[in-house]
Amino acid sequence: MSIAAAKQSSKTGWIAGLMLAVLFVFSLCVGVGDMPIIRLFSDGRVLELLLVSRLPRTLAAILTGAGLAIAGLIMQTLARNRYVEPATAGTAQSAELGILLVTLLLPSASLLFKSLAASAAALLGTTLFLMTAHRLPPTQPFLVPLFGLVYGGVIGAAVTFVAWQADLLQYLSVWTNGDFSGVLRGRYELLWLGALMVVIAWIVADRLTIMALGRDASIGLGLDYARMLQLGLVIVSVISALSVVVVGMIPFVGLVVPNIVSRLMGDNIRGTLPFVAASGAILVLGCDILGRLIRHPYEIPVGTVMGCVGGLIFLWLLFRRPSHV
Amino acid sequence: MPDRRLLCLAGAALLCIVAFMTIGLRGNIGFVLALRAMKLAALLQVSVSIAVSTVIFQTVTNNRILTPSIMGLDALYLFGQMLLVFLLGGLGYAALDAQLKFGGEIIVLMALATGLLLPMLRRRTDMGLMLLAGIIFGILFRSLHSLLARLIDPNDFAVVQGASFANFNDVRTDLLAFAAILTIVGIVIAWRARHVLDVMALGADTATGLGISWSRTVTGLLLLVSALVAVSTALVGPVAFFGLLVVALAERVVDTRSHAALMPAAMLTAVIILVGGQALFQHALGSSSTLGVVIEFVGGFAFLVLLVFGSRK
Amino acid sequence: MNLRTIAAFAAFAFSALPAHAVDILTAKGLVQIAVSPTKIAVLDIAALDTLDRLGIKPAGVPQKLYLPQLEPLKQGAEIVGDLFEPDLEALSALGPDLIIVGGRSSTKASATAQVVQTIDMTMDGDDLVAQAKERLAAYGVLFGKTAEAASAVEELDARIKAAKAAIAGKGNGLIIMTNGPKVTAYGPGSRFGWVHAALNLPAAVPDIEAANHGEAISFEFIAKANPDWLLVLDRAAAIGSGEQGAKTTLDNELVAETTAWKKNQVIYLPAAEFYIAAGGVQSIQRVVATIAEAFTAAR
Repeated sequence: MSIAAAKQSSKTGWIAGLMLAVLFVFSLCVGVGDMPIIRLFSDGRVLELLLVSRLPRTLAAILTGAGLAIAGLIMQTLARNRYVEPATAGTAQSAELGILLVTLLLPSASLLFKSLAASAAALLGTTLFLMTAHRLPPTQPFLVPLFGLVYGGVIGAAVTFVAWQADLLQYLSVWTNGDFSGVLRGRYELLWLGALMVVIAWIVADRLTIMALGRDASIGLGLDYARMLQLGLVIVSVISALSVVVVGMIPFVGLVVPNIVSRLMGDNIRGTLPFVAASGAILVLGCDILGRLIRHPYEIPVGTVMGCVGGLIFLWLLFRRPSHV
Repeated sequence: MPDRRLLCLAGAALLCIVAFMTIGLRGNIGFVLALRAMKLAALLQVSVSIAVSTVIFQTVTNNRILTPSIMGLDALYLFGQMLLVFLLGGLGYAALDAQLKFGGEIIVLMALATGLLLPMLRRRTDMGLMLLAGIIFGILFRSLHSLLARLIDPNDFAVVQGASFANFNDVRTDLLAFAAILTIVGIVIAWRARHVLDVMALGADTATGLGISWSRTVTGLLLLVSALVAVSTALVGPVAFFGLLVVALAERVVDTRSHAALMPAAMLTAVIILVGGQALFQHALGSSSTLGVVIEFVGGFAFLVLLVFGSRK
Repeated sequence: MNLRTIAAFAAFAFSALPAHAVDILTAKGLVQIAVSPTKIAVLDIAALDTLDRLGIKPAGVPQKLYLPQLEPLKQGAEIVGDLFEPDLEALSALGPDLIIVGGRSSTKASATAQVVQTIDMTMDGDDLVAQAKERLAAYGVLFGKTAEAASAVEELDARIKAAKAAIAGKGNGLIIMTNGPKVTAYGPGSRFGWVHAALNLPAAVPDIEAANHGEAISFEFIAKANPDWLLVLDRAAAIGSGEQGAKTTLDNELVAETTAWKKNQVIYLPAAEFYIAAGGVQSIQRVVATIAEAFTAAR
């Protein structure tokens, strides 16, 4: 990395960090309950509200955002295609199918067990996607996202069909639109497992960068390609499944964030990973705050807000700076 | 020999129509036949609109992967509808005549679609960008639709959710006559433009070289596509992969991209799948609202198989 | 050929017979019914519930009845589709004299009217109880059961009077619905507003917008509203799936701070009766009884 680029990246880092910090504090202050900051330590109820409701919700948004952005980044590396993400390539839909089946077969299963089932289903679905996607001719790169889109649609149709048969369609709506309104202390902690996955991604970041060069090149450089592929799949599946289980599906994050960051900073994963995570967190947290404010004191799901805000930002970026690819 | 193949397709389509009208008849035969005829008219319009709009759209965008619904046009229609409700809500939008509303919605869609897509097509950007923008448009309009729905009637899951799958069982018969005029005019225009479309398929530069005003033709064709998409979405709702499946299958059957053969083949294929499927599911199996889901499932799956095995040749 | 014209013409032809014609009050105003119907198809759970109280057995019923108490109605009756999608061909095969729609099926009134005269008996909002009595009276006249209808009204009035007495002076209430982990709130004027209006229960948050489907809220909202009573509807239970009960959703540190939770004043309403069969006379009685019982037990 050149000195100018390094300077640029440290400046971007400061901006991202500052924005996240501001949103973090702001998020703690936005909610229905009265929470005068001055009485934070004098009034036990204020502190209680902060710890029970605001902090968990803020953390959940940050963890989900960072996780989904990283999952998108890794998915794009594995598929060697910029236009795939867990929500559009069958991962999230597979996770839904997993939860649905567990709900039908073992209604009394614990949340952890459901997450495990969802992760396993997501893993299966994503593996199948990548195996098939690799058979597509590399000369037509747009076939891969298209394949992912149809693939996700097919699994989604299966989910709807099963839910419809079992009269669970209403309940399904809880997962198909991400929403943080139910997040409280004790109801989001599974998301920290997603944070663990982000840390693992950080540790293997250099190897992921090499993977982006393709199978033959990376084996030539001495990389255990198959092992790395498995690891990447596990990271993507676990993160997607956890966020589907805890808060529901949030579109866009995995697609938008890595694309913007790579436009700004290039493709060295070790260098961009923290920014991808931070930008994902900023985006999701910002959208959740908006969702809390638009119809205050009532809520608008973060999935809906994200669809609008994320979409507009992305289209603007897309057409302001035409692709040089 | 596309002619003989077209005849076979036409025969199969006719068979499906007969099956749709006759299987499981009971009760007041005259009434049920009239009921089925209405539904058949709607299904035929939907088939034809989706087939023709997809073929034209693929030719205009010069690829076989994009369809109006993948580019989010049906989501755009639903959004436009919601926008009208939102803007005109105070003026008693609900009390307006259904056909008048439909007319307004079509104009809104035509304006939005042309305004958004034309600059993209003019720029002649690469495939990846188009596809990406298409995905984004789709999600964006669905989200805006659901956001507006919440602002109008908060938390009405029925409003927000009902739009995810087409329902072929519950067609809007009140729009039938108006939609029929639009569909017929649309087909006539498309048919008369078949040779122009063949030239357009050669690419913007070649078409311009051969003396076609590319920009004006594309604008006209996009308007036509939006009107047809509005017809099918208004009658039954969004159908994500149906158009893709129909045109891909039809292309394999007639084995040509010549519009004189491809357009009728796509229409007939759509009729066979939609009317035949409805005959099978509703009249033979007695299951009411599953066809939409099954078409998406089977259609998507068949397409995946075609994509993987077709491209390995 | 225009079916609606035929139906309208047929209705007109029948109405020309003055013999048994009666005017009854529906959600769309007064409607003239030509003859006392003997074979009816009903596509509304609340109407089925009220008709069941009067001992009337419809010839056509929807696929899913939601209330176990209504299940016997299926015996000997034809299935004529579901609430959202009436099966017009099955209806035509059945050939009823009259079709009753309401609530969820009310938008299908014009479709079923192609088969035979259809009345819309929808009930909604703050006046639900008054409307339920109107419907009772209408069915009484229509099926020649005025005496039963009158006694059913008396029974209902007595129940409501008892409930009002039990509720008076015991604090305010908040109606919420849980759908999995999510919560929605309802106020006066909403589809559940009749609980506030008919039973004189003060609302903990009086200005929740009168939206039919309620407002999405967070648990902080419940904590801030701090109602004396929480009236809970478990939507998953109402549509027949037992997944994640309302109790699990509400059992958290924020709801625990409310007076309602502390004093154990949380009422789980009979879900299908409250949500789907809203306005059915037996359903109202069961809902009112549940509320009255809880309030009577409180000191």
